[in-house]
Amino acid sequence: MNRNYIFLTLLMLVLAAGTWLLKKPSEFKQIKPNDLLWEMIQPTRYVTTDQVAKMIIQKDPSLELIDVRSANEYNEFTLPNAIHIALDSILNSANTMYFGIKGMNVVFISNDDIKSDQAWVISKRLGYKSMYVMKGGLNRWYETILDPQQPPETAPKTDFEMYAFRKGAQLYFTGAQVETTSTQKKDKLTIQRKRKASVASGGC
Amino acid sequence: MGPLIPNGFIPGDWNFVIALLLGIAFGFILEASGFSSSRNIVGVFYGYNFVVLRVFFTAVIVAMVGLIYFDYFGWLDLSQIFILPTYLAPMITGGVIMGLGFILGGFCPGTSFTAIAIGKMDGLVFTIGLYLGIFAFSLGYPLYSDFYNSGDMGNVTLMDVTGISSQWFAFGFVVIALSAFWVTMLIEKRVRKRITEYKF
Amino acid sequence: MNMHTLNNNRPHYLNPYFGGVLLGLLVLLTVFITGRGLGASGAVKSAVVTTAEVVNQDQAKANAYMGKFISDDISPMNNWLVFETFGLFLGGLLSGILFGRLKKPRVEHSPGISRKTRLIFALLGGALFGIGSQFGRGCTSGAALSGSATFSFGGVIVMLTIFGSAYVFAWFARKLWI
Repeated sequence: MNRNYIFLTLLMLVLAAGTWLLKKPSEFKQIKPNDLLWEMIQPTRYVTTDQVAKMIIQKDPSLELIDVRSANEYNEFTLPNAIHIALDSILNSANTMYFGIKGMNVVFISNDDIKSDQAWVISKRLGYKSMYVMKGGLNRWYETILDPQQPPETAPKTDFEMYAFRKGAQLYFTGAQVETTSTQKKDKLTIQRKRKASVASGGC
Repeated sequence: MGPLIPNGFIPGDWNFVIALLLGIAFGFILEASGFSSSRNIVGVFYGYNFVVLRVFFTAVIVAMVGLIYFDYFGWLDLSQIFILPTYLAPMITGGVIMGLGFILGGFCPGTSFTAIAIGKMDGLVFTIGLYLGIFAFSLGYPLYSDFYNSGDMGNVTLMDVTGISSQWFAFGFVVIALSAFWVTMLIEKRVRKRITEYKF
Repeated sequence: MNMHTLNNNRPHYLNPYFGGVLLGLLVLLTVFITGRGLGASGAVKSAVVTTAEVVNQDQAKANAYMGKFISDDISPMNNWLVFETFGLFLGGLLSGILFGRLKKPRVEHSPGISRKTRLIFALLGGALFGIGSQFGRGCTSGAALSGSATFSFGGVIVMLTIFGSAYVFAWFARKLWI
């Protein structure tokens, strides 16, 4: 009888001690530095303002805009349906819920590339996929979408096509926006988040 | 992948069926371990029967160590499970009140239900008391609602509070529990020699 | 001699360590399936809220505590813990039948006290447990067992205070049991 208990005691101790051996590698999940550097120099991590504009106009459901500027700047102006996550609180679990959702493409925006690049590196180091930066930020957005310049006469045909698109987009974002702001605000509520365990009320 | 229901592996309609099945298993284990008898239960406080300590602590350490393994193998996402929120002062008060209720009533809520199931009237009376207690608590709630909601620390774990890893806690609990098992085995032998009228 | 009769009358209980391992695995399974632990007192709370609602709906809703658990479309009895507790009762019944412990209604008490004393203290203990479990956000199964097993800080606090204070009070209540 006692011998069995000694055996069980040892078994339990071994099992408990065994948990140390399986220190989770994912406890601080990071991608390898080399992979990060390689991904950093890929031009594919950028999306242009034109692509973003097109996705917004087409109401692409996979687009998830994240504004990493300060709250004041966000309240003053942002892109339709953009979510605000200040750069310094990007690691909060309430915020990382927005990342890495299957089928969603996260696009960081800020005034230029600097803050959004930082946000991209942080989120990338955590191993999230499908993260992008809007090239040139909102400054480029203003130059290209809100106030497009007509290309010179000698420019190639593609430039004129792009100009035509931008002119259309300009109408969409400046002219049409006035009437649709209310519906767009409503859209914000449907933004996808990762499911969190429901914290039910009432204990035992 | 787990927890299964919140992650949609099992449709929500099954929720109540699963609740019933898990409850049956729970009740069976409690009754079969001898928790349907109040004299068995309080034996832990007088040294003549340590069944509560053995079952309870074995369950805690098995579940603790098991959770760490489940997390490691990726079966269970520990960040998604429900962590009981901590309200420090109300919980200490509640624990002391429950401790007093435990020693006077000889049951805790779960075990009193299994006692009713096998025909113990004291279990039934205990449950009636439980009902009245909660009712009285609700009526008097405005008097102590501030206290009830004070000391809210959120859904914190031991690791959040102390910064020590879960492995240390699991190992610590295992060592404490196992030493308690061996010590109480000796105590029980001694006390039982003196108590003669107790017949489980 | 005494030891001998004692062993003969001994009901067949599971080995406590075996029961404990089963219970631990059950907690693990419950967390694995539902993401939360077991419970028991929550069902009684649901029963309290339900009866209060049936007797006087407006007053129940106006009550600051019960009002939290009343919603217009779902009955408070339509709750995970209520089903689980019903199962708990059935499981106890099943085990009682299987091991031959299901008998006619009776009161178990120490030979030192009367039936009446035992019942009065059971009622008192139940009421205290009811009040305490609301402050503690759960009872021994919900807070102390499932809470501690999931490393909840509050769960460990409740476990330590329940058992710690019960040991302190045990000395004063010894006449009830031994």
